[in-house]
Amino acid sequence: MSAVCILTPVVIMAWPAFSAAVVAAAGSLGYQLAAEVHNQSPGVTQRQESGAVRLEIERSEVVTNQLGRDQRIAVSREGVTVTFSRDARGKASLCVTGNGQSADDLRALGEELSQAVVQQYVYQKLMDEMRTRGFNVVEEEVNEDRSIRLKVRHWEN
Amino acid sequence: MSGAEPLLTIKFMPQREFEITIGKTGEVELHLKGFKGKGCLETVKMFEQIVGEMKAQQATSEFYEPEELVQYRIDQRH
Repeated sequence: MSAVCILTPVVIMAWPAFSAAVVAAAGSLGYQLAAEVHNQSPGVTQRQESGAVRLEIERSEVVTNQLGRDQRIAVSREGVTVTFSRDARGKASLCVTGNGQSADDLRALGEELSQAVVQQYVYQKLMDEMRTRGFNVVEEEVNEDRSIRLKVRHWEN
Repeated sequence: MSGAEPLLTIKFMPQREFEITIGKTGEVELHLKGFKGKGCLETVKMFEQIVGEMKAQQATSEFYEPEELVQYRIDQRH
């Protein structure tokens, strides 16, 4: 072994890739797709639910070339709904609502799902880039703690 | 041709191996194996470009060894 590195992900992706990562991560945690909204007329006020917890995904940027387009995707599980969207600064954010759960519970659920979305994004990006660069993934496994281990081989020229 | 000269010499760099662990938060732990010398710096840089910011890096003893080169020598015998 020559080096051990720890890298913190920076999430930069277009909306279709982001929504795909949300669907994949949500599915792995038992959530189902509730709705995906691409257009919302200007001036339409979003429904503000009391007790909603809002979070944002750090070091994220959801890029879009469609100005003014309101894009959001919602997933739900056992009465809890998590709505992902792109905020005005371009960051990925999420709003967690539910009946009967405390704010701390909703926050924990939101953080669990947003972390899974980032993990899914990193996994997909690594797999795509390594395939492009001729790296071979020879082993892949999901550990009990939900971490993903990849063994990769590559012959240098 | 002198009998001492090889008929064919093939040189190539050896196989590189990586172990990547994507934590449940998306943080990536990268174990680079089979590198000697600073040849792994380019690979580390590549993974930084793919994933994001370097949080920690630790070089092991192999990092400070000279670059290795595998050489096969094929001799002609009469």
